[in-house]
Amino acid sequence: MIEVKNLSKKFKAPSEEKGIFGFKKKDFWAVKDLNFNIKEGSVASILGPNGCGKTTTLRMIAGMLTPSKGTAFIDSIDVRKDKQAVKSKIGYMTNNTSLYDRLNVLETIKFFAELNQIPEDVYMPRAEKLFTQLDMNKYLTKRIADLSTGMKQKTSIVRTLIHDPDLIVLDEPTTGVDVTGQSVIIDLIRTIKDSGKTLIFSTHQLNEVRDIADHIVVMKAGEKIFDGDNDAFQALDSSKNFTEIFMELVNE
Amino acid sequence: MSKWQVLLIKEIKHLFRDTKTIVQTVVVPTFITPLLLGAIFWYVGSIANEETKKTYDISTYSAIESNLITQLAESDRLNILPEDSITNVITSVTEGNSEIGLVLDENFSENLTTDNSAKITIYSKNIDTFSQAKSLVTNIIDDFEDAERNDRLAALNLTNEYVNPIVIEEEDLTTEEESAGSIFGAILALFFVMYVMSGSTYPAIDLGAGEKERGTMETLISTNISSVDIIIGKMLSVTTSAVLTATFSMLGFAIPMVIIFLFYADSVNEYLFSLLSALLNPVAFLAVFILIIPLSVFMGAFLLAISVYAKTPKEAGLLLGNVLIIFIVPCYIPLINPGLELDFVGALIPCYNLALLTNNLIAGTVDWFLYSVSFISTIVYCCIAIYVTYIMFDDENVIFRS
Repeated sequence: MIEVKNLSKKFKAPSEEKGIFGFKKKDFWAVKDLNFNIKEGSVASILGPNGCGKTTTLRMIAGMLTPSKGTAFIDSIDVRKDKQAVKSKIGYMTNNTSLYDRLNVLETIKFFAELNQIPEDVYMPRAEKLFTQLDMNKYLTKRIADLSTGMKQKTSIVRTLIHDPDLIVLDEPTTGVDVTGQSVIIDLIRTIKDSGKTLIFSTHQLNEVRDIADHIVVMKAGEKIFDGDNDAFQALDSSKNFTEIFMELVNE
Repeated sequence: MSKWQVLLIKEIKHLFRDTKTIVQTVVVPTFITPLLLGAIFWYVGSIANEETKKTYDISTYSAIESNLITQLAESDRLNILPEDSITNVITSVTEGNSEIGLVLDENFSENLTTDNSAKITIYSKNIDTFSQAKSLVTNIIDDFEDAERNDRLAALNLTNEYVNPIVIEEEDLTTEEESAGSIFGAILALFFVMYVMSGSTYPAIDLGAGEKERGTMETLISTNISSVDIIIGKMLSVTTSAVLTATFSMLGFAIPMVIIFLFYADSVNEYLFSLLSALLNPVAFLAVFILIIPLSVFMGAFLLAISVYAKTPKEAGLLLGNVLIIFIVPCYIPLINPGLELDFVGALIPCYNLALLTNNLIAGTVDWFLYSVSFISTIVYCCIAIYVTYIMFDDENVIFRS
């Protein structure tokens, strides 16, 4: 269960006012007083236009950024109090492939498994299963630099899941991936959903959300403007389709 | 295996699969630099050797005949070119037609015969440090003057001792080791510092700003590895590269010397041979190496802290380029002031202490108390640099600075 309570994050950003050393910096709230709960075993999606605070929210939930105000609880663990415990429960995938170019696929997975202190006899069968599921077996000894974007994305998925996390956080997992790659990722999200794990992801692809998310959070300028399930989202205007409702929400 | 060990192994593997790291760590210090230095020494040596056989053109002007000109002309290595005027002598030297211009005063012979001082003007350009023309000419003039002086003293029934009441005898007690330390100590230290820096700069940029730019830093901190583990793993990777570079640079110096001793000992100048022999001192090399290790850790942590602060590798390169001067300048000071002695304050200055201690270790005159002060102070700087790096890695504003 994820509980987000008044989660807020303040950054310093250049303002329009000029100072001696360029533009003066001012505080701005990237995320402000965000509240929502995600049930265990559900798939939640955070939607919103660019710069609305999706990545910042996910980073705070994953313990990578410290909230300026409020907090989030992952299985009752406060992210402000025990980041390491939260991180060990989470598999976080960034919005780019972000892997080490000069390692091969197997070495990459081994590195992340060992970093999570998983013994080889535990992580290897898990990795083999994922490699087969994602059709990667031919590429295991290839260096990351030599892989296609889709294959890099698959490797990222395996490294995210290698320690069998309770909560999976995917930051725009289908961005920059071709149609085949997107389909692989959607299938994987479905598999994770079927396994009963909790998953939260941000995306621009509204079709993905409509098909697989149990829970939708829409953000605009750092604030929550919708929080509910698929039916509640559609009920906002039954005469319009999913995309039209979303566009109306964010343009209001 | 602990998390920092896992990270260290990964970082080393990742770093050394990059050709740039191999070139910088192994190829340049072991092969390229010794070859380059060898080529420079050979070139300079061959120029100096050529000068010992060269015949020099000397333009002269003398209003009257003089024995001095005759004696100069008797030298196999001087080719006398008589000129019509002083102006022509100056022009000849200025335009490079002669190496030296020699003008005898119009009363030269008369002054000599009347027991007065006779004037000689020498025109030269003192930019060719290898040229022996001036010393050849002045030696002949000195001999001429000695003969003239002896004649005058004999005419007065006086001996040489009469005009030289004090005879100074000098004996240089400098040992070969001290000479070697004085000549090579600071240069070797400068090379070692430069290699430690070049060995740590690229890994620091790659593992700091490089990881930020590629996004792998975000991936790394999303795992449950602590900031301390990240720092230890990354810093030791940078240090490993720096120490390896320093080790290979030492081998790069030692191996050619051993080869010279084993196969070309007969063809090396005796003085140079004795200096090089003094340099091959395993205790000195070991003691220098022990000093280099904490210095490498210090530099590694310091450079990593700056690199991780930078937004991009380009910015990191710019920042590090400026910061590296801090390490280079203290090495230069003993190089341009060879007489400097290490004191307590100097022992607290990193790189400066290494330069002077390298000098003393080779010379065999090291003060082990100051050596310990240098070693301990460098360890203290290491701890400070590691703490700064820890602050950097623990600060999300730095890690996510973009």
